[in-house]
Amino acid sequence: MVLGTYKEAISARATDKAIQKVSQDGGIVTALLSYALDEKIIEGAVVAGPGDKAFKPEPLVALTSDEIISAAGTKYTFSPNVWALKNAVRQYGLEKVGTVAIPCQLQGIRKTQSYPFATRFLADKISLIVGIFCMENFPYASLETFISEKMKSSLDLTEKMDIGMGKFITTTQDDELSIPLKETHGYEQAGCNICKDYTAELSDVSTGSVGSPNGWSTVLTRTDTGASLFSQAVEAGIIETKSMDDVKPGLGLLEKLSNSKKSSADKEITKRVDMGLPVPF
Amino acid sequence: MSEKIVISPTSRQEGHAELVMEVDDEGIVTKGRYLSITPVRGLEKMVTGKAAETAPVLCQRICGVCPVPHTLASVEALDDSLNIEIPEAAKLLRELTLCASNVNSHAIHHFLIATDFVPENLFAAAVDSVSEIRKVSQYVVDMVAGEGIHPSDVRVGGMASNISELARKKLYARLKALVPKVNAHVDLMEGLILDKDLPKGLGAIDQPVFASDKIYGNRDFFDFDRFTEVMPESWYGDEEIGKKACSTIPLYDGINVEAGPRARAAKFGGFTGKGVVAQHLTRAQEMKTYLSRAIEILDELNTSAPTLADYDLRGTSKLGVGAIEAPRGLDIHLAQVGNDGKTEFYSALVPTTWNIPTMGPATEGFHHEFGPHVIRAYDPCLSCATHVMVVDDEDKSVVKNEMVRL
Repeated sequence: MVLGTYKEAISARATDKAIQKVSQDGGIVTALLSYALDEKIIEGAVVAGPGDKAFKPEPLVALTSDEIISAAGTKYTFSPNVWALKNAVRQYGLEKVGTVAIPCQLQGIRKTQSYPFATRFLADKISLIVGIFCMENFPYASLETFISEKMKSSLDLTEKMDIGMGKFITTTQDDELSIPLKETHGYEQAGCNICKDYTAELSDVSTGSVGSPNGWSTVLTRTDTGASLFSQAVEAGIIETKSMDDVKPGLGLLEKLSNSKKSSADKEITKRVDMGLPVPF
Repeated sequence: MSEKIVISPTSRQEGHAELVMEVDDEGIVTKGRYLSITPVRGLEKMVTGKAAETAPVLCQRICGVCPVPHTLASVEALDDSLNIEIPEAAKLLRELTLCASNVNSHAIHHFLIATDFVPENLFAAAVDSVSEIRKVSQYVVDMVAGEGIHPSDVRVGGMASNISELARKKLYARLKALVPKVNAHVDLMEGLILDKDLPKGLGAIDQPVFASDKIYGNRDFFDFDRFTEVMPESWYGDEEIGKKACSTIPLYDGINVEAGPRARAAKFGGFTGKGVVAQHLTRAQEMKTYLSRAIEILDELNTSAPTLADYDLRGTSKLGVGAIEAPRGLDIHLAQVGNDGKTEFYSALVPTTWNIPTMGPATEGFHHEFGPHVIRAYDPCLSCATHVMVVDDEDKSVVKNEMVRL
């Protein structure tokens, strides 16, 4: 299945204006983790919190909704959240941990749950994983380089980053800059080129902007945990929804992008195998 | 006519050892010898010449039963050699780790001696309560020291990090809830040990007690000048046994000593009992002592206080002493760090090593059937106690004994 196993696809956004203001799209990750925390479904969450440098996130063990909201918004460089899971269950003492993860991190986390080497008494305490759609991820130096050299701007001037309509877009105080996405090719992490997962197929519930209109997110509920959390949040009025059939561009675009990630990864995998290089799949 | 009874390996203890008893016509032990037959670990040599922070990481792997005391003794020795004064919160977290680990270890011992004392109808209950106590106490070590078995967060200079306020409250609540369970468990074990009707005076010896502190350990106690070490060949008075034994014989003031729960109770609690029953009772009582100290620490711990000191890894070759009261007795690590930050010298004088020369003679004067009881009362753990390597396999002699020379 091109979108992995899922129960329901739906377009949604957080109703809380405070979340809408800081979120990338529909604020679903922030809303779900905060709601899970408030409802004691989790005791805390490992999120991509603000770091010392602009747009360089640091894993944060968030114990309050405010801390979760401080981590809202997409970061296009890596936040090693998996690394902080151990801190969360050890020094922080969490026994029900939530986290947000991109597909490659999810593969790692799910693997620790199957083979808990060096993650003794950790894997069983991960109660909720919200996945985010991800085509690719940039090393911090890559972002610095193409924002400076191709977009003639800097990370310090940047207020928001986005990818949409085939473009990489940054917003500064008084301008919106963009370059075609193909200009960023070659700057992504090498592993992204062989990753076949676009929609965070191993998550409990995954979300991303693709398929839904501006300010909304597409949500795929995948596990019982994810589905029941999502429907509770909707019932509680934390999240409002629209049917995917009623929104543009709709699920078709998501399927198209997911397919294209899988097929280009297959090509790259074949190429690497032919060269005698190791691939993890 | 004297006969020789050999139990090899002795059972329900950690590691491998041999008990050789010479008995008279009535089966009464006239000469008891207890020796380690566990192969050498060699960690002291392994850490020499490496960066000082390597020592606790490797030395905790000396054994899976006492990784916590070994890590603590190792960092304490390095702190001392580098003249580091660790933050107050780190001291508390280290002591908390030890208290929890020792409760766990004593509980394991109750599992090992269960078949000696626990009747069939109570067996499941006793084992269940051992499991429950271990689960909670190891949970504390997990959270405070990073890992239950080989703790990652006990560091030279303190502890890697403090625990969160949530963790502190959680641990406090869990340990409070554990109090009645530990009390009931201790009552059960004490009752069963007293009911057993072991011969009066079994295992009683007059050796000096060797203990540095009631709970944590105190490096000031250990006086290097009073310590000597002899080779097994000269100690056992039996050539065959001398060659087979894998541990050196440590002496304090020239004589062998007793370390462990009874030694601590005698020195710091005015306890006067001796022998097998006394050792079991003091060990059981210690579970309560450790638990109440752990709760006290969690009560006073400031979770926002720093836990790691700033320090310079370049040493002055000072001989640092780390002294930790491990479950089975005083665990001493000695370390010297040079000005290049590397370990120049390392030695571990571990709990059961102190007891080995004392345990054999403690079997004397009673029927040999009680021999294993006497041994198990010391809860021996041989893994870390081995320091001699047989170099010449032909005649089994310890050719290279500079390995153990200080």
